Amino acid sequence: MFMARTWSRWLPAAAVPLVVAGSVAFAAQAGADELPERTPEDVLTLLADRDHQPFSGEFEQTSDLGLPQLPGGMDLPDADGDAAAVTAALEALTSDHSGRVFVGEQDQARLQVFESFGERDVIVNGDEVWVYDSDENAVTHATVPADDRTATPDQRFTPDEVADQVIEAVGPSTELSVREDVEVAGRAAYDLVLTPRTDATLVGEVAIAVDGETGQPLRVSVTARGADAPAFQIGYTSLDRGAPDADLFEFTPPAGAEVEEIAAPAEDQGRDAAEHPEPTVVGSGWESVAILDADGGGITSEPLLAQLTTAVDGGRLLGTDLVNVLIADDGRVLVGAVPLERLQAAAAE
Amino acid sequence: MPADSDTARARTHGGALLASELRVLFRRWRTWAMLAALASIPVLMAVVVRLSSEPPGPGEGPPFLDQVTNNGMFVAITALVLTTPLFLPLTVAVVSGDTIAGEASLGTLRYLLVAPAGRVRLLLVKYLSTVAFCLAASGTVLLTGWVIGAVLFGTGEATLLSGDTIGVGDAVVRSLLVGAHVTICMLGLAAVGLFISTLTDAGVGAMAAVAVLTIVAQVLGQLDQLAWLHPWLFTHHWLAFADLLREPVVWTSFTENALLQAGYVAFFGALAHGRFGTKDVLS
Repeated sequence: MFMARTWSRWLPAAAVPLVVAGSVAFAAQAGADELPERTPEDVLTLLADRDHQPFSGEFEQTSDLGLPQLPGGMDLPDADGDAAAVTAALEALTSDHSGRVFVGEQDQARLQVFESFGERDVIVNGDEVWVYDSDENAVTHATVPADDRTATPDQRFTPDEVADQVIEAVGPSTELSVREDVEVAGRAAYDLVLTPRTDATLVGEVAIAVDGETGQPLRVSVTARGADAPAFQIGYTSLDRGAPDADLFEFTPPAGAEVEEIAAPAEDQGRDAAEHPEPTVVGSGWESVAILDADGGGITSEPLLAQLTTAVDGGRLLGTDLVNVLIADDGRVLVGAVPLERLQAAAAE
Repeated sequence: MPADSDTARARTHGGALLASELRVLFRRWRTWAMLAALASIPVLMAVVVRLSSEPPGPGEGPPFLDQVTNNGMFVAITALVLTTPLFLPLTVAVVSGDTIAGEASLGTLRYLLVAPAGRVRLLLVKYLSTVAFCLAASGTVLLTGWVIGAVLFGTGEATLLSGDTIGVGDAVVRSLLVGAHVTICMLGLAAVGLFISTLTDAGVGAMAAVAVLTIVAQVLGQLDQLAWLHPWLFTHHWLAFADLLREPVVWTSFTENALLQAGYVAFFGALAHGRFGTKDVLS
């Protein structure tokens, strides 16, 4: 009798974890709605033919490329030019990001990339493009006619853009298949899988979750050859199909912010081209290697980057699970989702 | 449970118990000393920024410090950023660690249990008074921050993290939300403290244990190797209130935190109930 009483006092403490575990399991299990069967080509068409629709969504990007994570927002004192660009690209790839996308009427969009106590915003409203960085309290403004606009660097980090870039690259070297339906951001989606037909690439497969109803890409995951978990993944965590508040696309620079006006894009591109020469591409499909005539020597002299690279025949290698970068002894930079030997061969040609 | 079936008389008794508990808590010098220490942080910060010849530039000092000179309201928010990781939980550790263990070490726990209140009711009352302290603590930082900020810098338009500008009324609402988030963050810790307090008869030991736990949880939260554990740490969302300063507000971390803290309150409340219900009260 007394023992039973003692035990019953502890019952609630035992029940709480059970309830929590139960509700977590239930939430994870809530299955996707049944979608009609479709062939991979049909899903691809669904994806390509999707209409412009207003929506707002939160997204998350995670990457595990087998590289040490660089501390975010770190200032490298003597990094400039190419070295700074490489560090920035590494930071974007190796650290996790989350943010929101708002898409309104045609030519209205706002992207927010969150940092713990900061945010970067890109606002596109008709011809107006605003970029805001809360850490610097700095605003960049440009007037760009909608026709000749290319995605700003930050816009590359949305599931939509990433999926479009992947699809563009699909050719005969890729095998398409559709796996069991998945649920992403509360939406039932087709899981379109792109598998390279060649062994000469580090990429094992690319999976794109395509909304079964609207054809919107909801998640892109890239898995390295032989790995179980994706090395890179970007996807929506929640999605609202209602039109976002129109005020979100009206941006006025805040008081005290530094506003930089950027000149017309044509001039801008000219300057860009001089600084960053177009890379030469060798090979095709998954095996292609981009060769940049950059000053690779300057990059390796950066101590942090030198630490990440290892000496190999013919240069220094920055190796990740998905992409290899070879900085050749003659200063050229070779980039590709291919094994090191292929990069060395391309460098020798 | 006999205590619960004791209808209205017991309920008024519970109310009286809570009222007397709050009186004891807020008559203590220690409580006022802790609140005064908390209040000194926004004051110090605002005075230093005011007296310095150069206003802080963007990205300098603690988050939002550069906003302070535009709008005094941000003194309250910056002060909350500074106090949430250590100072605020320290005071909550002192109050929650003292709840049961303090009475036990003073030898007054027996007398509290002689009254027909029941152990469950006493635990509840003790927890509610700790919650009242959490409210008072974050409220103190917020209020002092508002007042000193408005006096030294005036109020005006404020810039959100997204670059949008809001007026004074909206700024008050946003800082109230931040205050609410911080208060909710402390509720889980208060429940952990209540449980630890039932384990020992030494008040100081319980306080120290709770304070150490706060630090340990935050250190674990820094280790990438334990990423799977992070969403379950009670400190996980402590500084996530930046999400309340975006346009529009991101509610995810606020609601996730509220759920997490509710889980901690339920689990450690139940543990405290189990321990206190079966404990031999000798002092």
